[in-house]
Amino acid sequence: MKTERYLRQILFQPIGHEGQERLGKALAVVVGCGAIGSTAASLLARAGIGYLRVIDRDILEESNLQRQELFDEEDLKEGLPKALTAEKKLQRVNSTVRIEGINADLNPGNAEILLKDAQVILDCTDNFETRLLINDYALKSQTPWIYSACLGSQALLMNILPGKSLCLRCLINSIPFPGTLPTCETAGILAPAAKVIASLQVTEALKILTGHQEALISGLLDIDLWKGTFQIMDTQTVRSLTCPACQKGEYEFLNAKSFSLTTTLCGSNAVQITPGGSSARNGSKIDLSALSQRLQSLPDITDVSQSPYLLKFSCRDKSLGARDTMSLNWVIFPDGRALLFGTKDPTLARTLYSQYIGI
Amino acid sequence: MIYLDNAATSFPKPSEVYRAMDEFFRERAANPGRAGYRLSMEAEREIEMTRKALAEFFGARDTQRLVFTLNATDAINMAIKGLLKPGDHVITTYLEHNAVTRPLNSLEKQGVITISRVRPSPQGFIGPGDIEKAVTPKTRLIAIVHASNVLGTVQPLRAIGQLARERDLIFLIDAAQSAGLWPINVEEQCIDLLAFTGHKALFGPPGTGGLYVSERVELRPWREGGTGVDSQNPVQPKEMPYRLEGGTPNFVGLVGLKAGVEFVSRMGIHNIQRHGQGLIHHLFHCLEDDKRFILYGPPSTENRSPILSLNINGMEPQVVGTILDESFGIAVRSGLHCAPGTHRETGSFPQGTLRISTGFFNTEDDIAQVALALKEIASSERVTA
Repeated sequence: MKTERYLRQILFQPIGHEGQERLGKALAVVVGCGAIGSTAASLLARAGIGYLRVIDRDILEESNLQRQELFDEEDLKEGLPKALTAEKKLQRVNSTVRIEGINADLNPGNAEILLKDAQVILDCTDNFETRLLINDYALKSQTPWIYSACLGSQALLMNILPGKSLCLRCLINSIPFPGTLPTCETAGILAPAAKVIASLQVTEALKILTGHQEALISGLLDIDLWKGTFQIMDTQTVRSLTCPACQKGEYEFLNAKSFSLTTTLCGSNAVQITPGGSSARNGSKIDLSALSQRLQSLPDITDVSQSPYLLKFSCRDKSLGARDTMSLNWVIFPDGRALLFGTKDPTLARTLYSQYIGI
Repeated sequence: MIYLDNAATSFPKPSEVYRAMDEFFRERAANPGRAGYRLSMEAEREIEMTRKALAEFFGARDTQRLVFTLNATDAINMAIKGLLKPGDHVITTYLEHNAVTRPLNSLEKQGVITISRVRPSPQGFIGPGDIEKAVTPKTRLIAIVHASNVLGTVQPLRAIGQLARERDLIFLIDAAQSAGLWPINVEEQCIDLLAFTGHKALFGPPGTGGLYVSERVELRPWREGGTGVDSQNPVQPKEMPYRLEGGTPNFVGLVGLKAGVEFVSRMGIHNIQRHGQGLIHHLFHCLEDDKRFILYGPPSTENRSPILSLNINGMEPQVVGTILDESFGIAVRSGLHCAPGTHRETGSFPQGTLRISTGFFNTEDDIAQVALALKEIASSERVTA
């Protein structure tokens, strides 16, 4: 280990030589390489982590450049998956780190392979379904993980330590019903908010990896950069004694029971998405009119129309870049099911579903 | 919930099917034919009774030439891959399910066989004359579907079978949709290879099916293994059914299949057929004059299984199918139904169709409800389009 390179970090007493050495042998997995994930991955690589795995399912888009610091205009021209571009960039930042960029959609089929051996998992995703999947894996494998989220100027963070703290399912029990929450696509995002939460998340990861769990933030951290507020909500009282995941060991997202189903339709150039989660089975319905209004205000969305049975709209397939845009046609049904015509790519369908409808 | 996807699998099954399987599986499910003890013999007897019942049902004289398979796909693969040799020519049709199309296409692609594909009439019927025209000196096999899984049209087996026999060709029938709904007699219809599945109109469970192999045909086994007899033989025995039946069969499923076949015999195949045709006639009557609907296949129920494929003008069948499921509690199949050729022939490619297939337990009321729902969906589309 090169002491010189990490001298300033070693001089920081809680880390020291011993902490730096532990860090150099540690594996962290960053799930999602967007606004939060690209900053978090960059900080971890600079800090001299031993192994870093970055998982992301998307292709770089122009609108990512506003806040995703690992990427630039040259990358946009290449049109590669973000995970692969990130690997290349991070390797340039620190060639001594073993970096794996994995272009994949984390799902119940691959989670146990892709998250294997992680000593900490950084949640930098944009949807509750993937978070609850991470939550299940973390509980099953006793791996600490750090929840983070950012929307508008607000950012959230919570450490989840299996067996010690509450888990994400205690807090939200099941997936919020599709179409009920704003998403980055519909409510926007302020880049600095993502940077702040990424910095805090990596700080928490460093505490975990250097053996300083006593210093971890306890509770749900809620920051609003625009309002200038910073508060910690005590979550101990929220801990659920009947939580299926951390109390009963029922990993419904990891065993695929509650995870959404994405299938390419036979024949048609179309993908069907059936949301999972217990809420989807309780007869809850999306407010199609409210969703329609939210979508109509977006520049990317055209041809919004509604009937008693469905909501239709079109969006662009931005993964193809600005030069070759294809129109994708959505049909959303009140129970959250959706058909996306114009693609056979289930990952793209899941990405867009979580962006526009929310999952 | 109204279930109208019986062409995919019949549901529900007659209660005696569930009962027979449950009782047998709990009380008597020892491995058949692998030991001399009482339970094992009893399981063996159940299998042979099922074999006998099916052979009789299809008019096969030699019971031992009816072998059990996983389903129709398995049986068709066994037939095609066990029969054809390099240089053979095969006649098939554009109405086939992928279960026939894909094994043939792959042999064609490997350069093993050549294929002639006969086009159906616009309504979905195959003319025996067209088959005859396709015969060449190299022709070995005619492989056709008995009842189309998209249009329900039923082909004239006897005429084609006689033609095959006159020309000394092997005649393979995909009876996945027809076994249990249409009379099949391998002797009278000159069928050499009859592939069927257990879980559709025969009311058995999935994982059951069979292949009848006439004396005119000897198939190379494509699945080899333990038979419980002739174990000292280093290769698969020559005797049927062991030649084609290596491995432990799905004997619990076969007990259910036997109960299903007995149910069909008791109800009478003609009564079952009349019930289904009555329902489809009713649905057809409700929709035929409504210009918003495109109905596929012939305009009558003559020579037609209880299947109606349709589309609503300007709507994707998958969208209609999802609305039927979500807002009306009606289960139907939408898409290509694994028979892309049929969709091309009828102008419903690539979007496919909405397929309504009734079963013995559907009622007139079910049909009235689906017709009403379809009209309501068609109206809703007009308002917003």
